[in-house]
Amino acid sequence: MDVSQYLEIFIDETREHLQSLNEHLLVLEKEPENEATINEIFRAAHSLKGMAGTMGYKKMQRLTHDMENVFSEIRNGQMKATSRLVDVLFKGLDVLEEFLVNIQTDGTEGKTDGQEIISDLNKILESGLGKDDSSASDAKDSASTPADKGEDKPSKDYGKYKFKSLSIDEHEKKAIAKAKLLNLNVIGLTVYIQEYCVLKGARAYMINRSLEEHGEIIKLSPSAQDLEDEKYDYDYSAFVVTKETPQQIINNAISVSEVKEVVADYINLEEKELEKYLNIIKNEEKQSALSMTSGDSGDLKAKTAPSRKQPSKPIANRSVRVDIEKLDVLMNLVSELIIAKNSLVSSSSSLHDQLEIAFYDQIEYLERVTTNLHESVMKVRMVPIENVVNRFPRMIRDLSKKLNKKMELYMTGEETELDRTVIDEIGDPLMHLLRNAADHGLESNEERKNQGKNPVGSIYLDAYQDGNNVVIEVSDDGKGIDVEKIKRKAIDRGTITEEQASRMTDKEIINILFMPSFSTSDKVTDVSGRGVGLDVVKTKIEALGGDIEAKTKLGQGSNFIISLPLTLAIIQSLMVQISTEKYALPLGNIQTVENVTPDEIKMIQGKEVLNLRGNVIPVIRLGEILDCEKSQEAEELVIVVIKKGERLAGFVVDDLIGQQEIVIKSIGKYIDNHKIISGATILGNGEVALILDVNSLV
Amino acid sequence: MDEINSKQFISVRLDKDLYGMEITYIDSIIVMQNITRVPKAQPYFLGIINLRGEVIPVMSLRRKLGLPDDEFTNVSRILIVKPEPSVAPFGIIVDEVNEVISLDRDEIELINYDEDDTMAGFSEGIGKLGDELINILNIPEIITGNEK
Repeated sequence: MDVSQYLEIFIDETREHLQSLNEHLLVLEKEPENEATINEIFRAAHSLKGMAGTMGYKKMQRLTHDMENVFSEIRNGQMKATSRLVDVLFKGLDVLEEFLVNIQTDGTEGKTDGQEIISDLNKILESGLGKDDSSASDAKDSASTPADKGEDKPSKDYGKYKFKSLSIDEHEKKAIAKAKLLNLNVIGLTVYIQEYCVLKGARAYMINRSLEEHGEIIKLSPSAQDLEDEKYDYDYSAFVVTKETPQQIINNAISVSEVKEVVADYINLEEKELEKYLNIIKNEEKQSALSMTSGDSGDLKAKTAPSRKQPSKPIANRSVRVDIEKLDVLMNLVSELIIAKNSLVSSSSSLHDQLEIAFYDQIEYLERVTTNLHESVMKVRMVPIENVVNRFPRMIRDLSKKLNKKMELYMTGEETELDRTVIDEIGDPLMHLLRNAADHGLESNEERKNQGKNPVGSIYLDAYQDGNNVVIEVSDDGKGIDVEKIKRKAIDRGTITEEQASRMTDKEIINILFMPSFSTSDKVTDVSGRGVGLDVVKTKIEALGGDIEAKTKLGQGSNFIISLPLTLAIIQSLMVQISTEKYALPLGNIQTVENVTPDEIKMIQGKEVLNLRGNVIPVIRLGEILDCEKSQEAEELVIVVIKKGERLAGFVVDDLIGQQEIVIKSIGKYIDNHKIISGATILGNGEVALILDVNSLV
Repeated sequence: MDEINSKQFISVRLDKDLYGMEITYIDSIIVMQNITRVPKAQPYFLGIINLRGEVIPVMSLRRKLGLPDDEFTNVSRILIVKPEPSVAPFGIIVDEVNEVISLDRDEIELINYDEDDTMAGFSEGIGKLGDELINILNIPEIITGNEK
């Protein structure tokens, strides 16, 4: 069976399941008795096993099978989730993730072996269940231990009636009790296949199919998977819930070719057990009846009421998976539409007198529609950062163990959305900042106690929208950044001179951290300290069009603030004229535009400044920075005032052209990109204008 | 048939000399148009142009090869080249475009340039076309190589 077409779906769904398993294991660690979580984990492991099996990934299948075994026992109450077990399970998840990465790269599971984890799991299984319950594990055992044939060790010899010696677990007992309640028979049978049968797996499948036509199979020994894999000798047993009699079942099964013999009989629970499970069922029905009546009235009102799920599970989204490439194509088309619209507007303005009013109405309508279309497409590309940050709690947990420091991660704003392309890139920088906080920021538990702080360190990850940007803050309540230490280290390494250091503000000193190869850590751990982190973080964030700032209070903690632009490709801009050239300034950060006379500009310490209604702001002549031809000194200067965070700066341009919605086009990689040029745009008349990122100069 | 041994080149003129480029790299040829200057770029990049809605950087081949500067005439052309099919294109300005010629491999002679001659990395040899000599250029080198 060619499963390669399903590979993509497999990868996506496996990733989701692994993520879900990670999250639930974390919960389980804190609440070992949480039934809902245990069930979820079991379900996820089971699904993973099924998918891995279908795709032919045997190693993955085996590992998930054993994990599922362990969880089945926990579900039945035969075992508890100890912290040692959780550790092994986490390791198992890591191995599964390695498998997935290998599968993504070359389609095979790679060299990783899950054997160690599997034997660990089995050890735990045995010790957890204790000696007297060994028969319970037998029914679920499969090829994990080669010596095991997958058959039970019958305590009594029932001869041919092997199904009688099968042990029945809680769920199966419940199912049997329920069957009795519905006046159905539970029939156990053992099927013997001819020794000359070649396709045992197919044969078993056909027998089971015919059984299912008359009832429901509630138990198979060996398991259905093993039957399909032909991991059984020449017989297997099953329990079927049906209206029919054992003789009828035998007739059905034996009608399949190559079946040698079938024996069957009623399966009954002992009185006491039957009563016990009947009671459990009754109680469950009472509970669901209560929730049904309260949900009933709701159901009458809304036909599309969501299915009843456990409270912790979110309501399933009605969603569609879309290929990113399709989204990109859509985005490009919308961009082109806007360029075309701009051209139309500009050519219409030159024909001003000759055109009718109706034309302008249509143009305005067109503008509204394209703007709405643009916004909608942007929204489609927006993805909540949840996808990126949901692996962080697990990472912090691992770090906590590794560094031997107790710490907690608190996240808010996971529903904040970012453009798809940004989401992909933001994960690594955030991870690095978190690791920094854990490794450098937080002190050891004793130190914290000595300082009167809560011995468990806290790391906060907050995301929120602020105007046209999305802000993500990573903060900790650790020891803060030691500005003096940075100064000293920088002087030692020759990055700055003593004299420069004395003139720099705290903020400028902290920015040294973002320079390549800088680290104040005395030792290099494999968590951090090599000095390659923060500058890469800064570069990546700036490549996304955002920026990063660090704030700190010595002894109290640090705060890294990342700010990213919301929309990437189409922005509102202010077109300006500098010398003979046209440039676009993104409107988002423009505060005001001022007309000043040249003599209002003063000099302070060799730099030009302007007193703007009480604020003294630096003045920057864009013409000079951009090496433009000198234009004549005008009587009035036009100054565009830009606000970045709390800082203001004024940029001198020669003239204002107007406000325009523009499409950002990349200049490409051939031309050396100066920071100030963030892209280019095609104007209505076909000219190309450069987009200036004056923010970087503030 | 000596198909395997002969390649097709487009012959262009820079100043008084002829230069050749393999046609596999050439995407299209357009007339000279307004180039928007990009501040702080490399000196041999004159700027960017609008090519049917795409922003393409344009290079002055004269500057790149260390020849005297361009003077644009109405036969000046921009060759849009792609070093690889899936990579973004960029433009090269030439004084004039002549024709497509075929040269056998043995009609191209390798010349040893001095190490510090700008031409050193960019030329794949000199081809003989009747009386004329045509300098075959190595396009990928021109794109990635730096001025010496």
